[in-house]
Amino acid sequence: MCLDDQILNTYLDGELEEPWKSQVEEHLSYCTSCKIRYNSLKKIKETVKSAALTQEEIQPHQDRVLAMIEKNYLNKPAKKKFLGKEIKFTVPQFMGVAAAFVIVFAGAFSLFGNREASSIPLPDVNNTINLEKITPVKGTEVTTQSKTLDDYTLDEILKYLDGKGYSVDIHLKSIQPIEQPAVAEPAPVEEAPVEEAPAEETPVIEEVTVVEEAPVVEVVETVEETPAVEEAQPAETVKE
Amino acid sequence: MEIKSGNEVQFRQVYNELFPVLMKVAYHITYNQDVAEDICQDAFIRFYDKNMAFPSMDDAKFWLIRVVKNLALNNVKKKARENASIEKIKKAPMAVLNPFRDGASELLIQESQQTVRKAVAQLPDIYRTVIVLKEYAGLDYRQIGKVLGISESNVKVRVHRARKDLEVFLNREDVNVP
Repeated sequence: MCLDDQILNTYLDGELEEPWKSQVEEHLSYCTSCKIRYNSLKKIKETVKSAALTQEEIQPHQDRVLAMIEKNYLNKPAKKKFLGKEIKFTVPQFMGVAAAFVIVFAGAFSLFGNREASSIPLPDVNNTINLEKITPVKGTEVTTQSKTLDDYTLDEILKYLDGKGYSVDIHLKSIQPIEQPAVAEPAPVEEAPVEEAPAEETPVIEEVTVVEEAPVVEVVETVEETPAVEEAQPAETVKE
Repeated sequence: MEIKSGNEVQFRQVYNELFPVLMKVAYHITYNQDVAEDICQDAFIRFYDKNMAFPSMDDAKFWLIRVVKNLALNNVKKKARENASIEKIKKAPMAVLNPFRDGASELLIQESQQTVRKAVAQLPDIYRTVIVLKEYAGLDYRQIGKVLGISESNVKVRVHRARKDLEVFLNREDVNVP
């Protein structure tokens, strides 16, 4: 059996492994047709190879490229490789960060500066706000909230309000059954106008209605666990 | 010997040793010396800039050949889109005449070179690459496989098919073999 082109090409390239290599050589030694085919393949290979770019053709390019690389890369290694490269990337970033800081600080200073300069009466307000904040933050629950009001007896409150020139009406309401939704309504109320305060013992809901010329303040204190959020607000105003 | 591509001494060594091979690869894919020069320059700048470490000269060689081969093929594709590739090869001025040969045989050689280059340029990319790496870069099958990321037997098959195509192209042109 004769050799096919692929085997001959592989043999031609010197890539045929030993057991087959010897066999091919032996075959070529007596088979004329395979020898002819082998020679024509060899001729193709050599023809192709002969068209290779020669060193004379390559040299000018080699020199030119090297000159360019030397000029732009090799002869300034420190700058290009370390400083040049890194700075190229870091400078814009650094500048950007720096600019951002400048803008933030400038903005902050202009805002706070204006505020401090223009607001002399403000510290007063701030103080009261701070004082107010200290107690409610601790006791968001109804109990702690009402305690602040409990610090004062009804007498004291009435006296205080009297001193401020308010006229006060006090109504007593009966206890609401717990089953009823507390938020629903003020619920059935047994109104009993009282002139004098029945002191702390009052076991029921107290409704203090402050009636005056201008500011109308309402204080509702409940024994039940009704949400005290709304009540908290008026309570503070009263204390003031 | 480990090669650090950012090291100037080693860079020069690699450059001197490998530039001719790379130039051949670039040229025999693009068949344009100026383009091939640009490609080699590009590849060596990348090589230097990336400051990579190669276990051996061969590894550096394979990396560079791969880069040059890819750049060259991209260039050819771009050129093919412009549909001028083969026309340019025909018109391309031939390289420096060899002063040690007489005029007549020089002419013959030039004609034959033209024909071969044209034939190689007509090969499909995958065959052309294999032939260029085999005949012009002087790589063996194993090395070609490494550069192209294909198996040795695959290389063998491609070489065979490339030669078959070349035979057809060359016989059509009736080549003068020196």
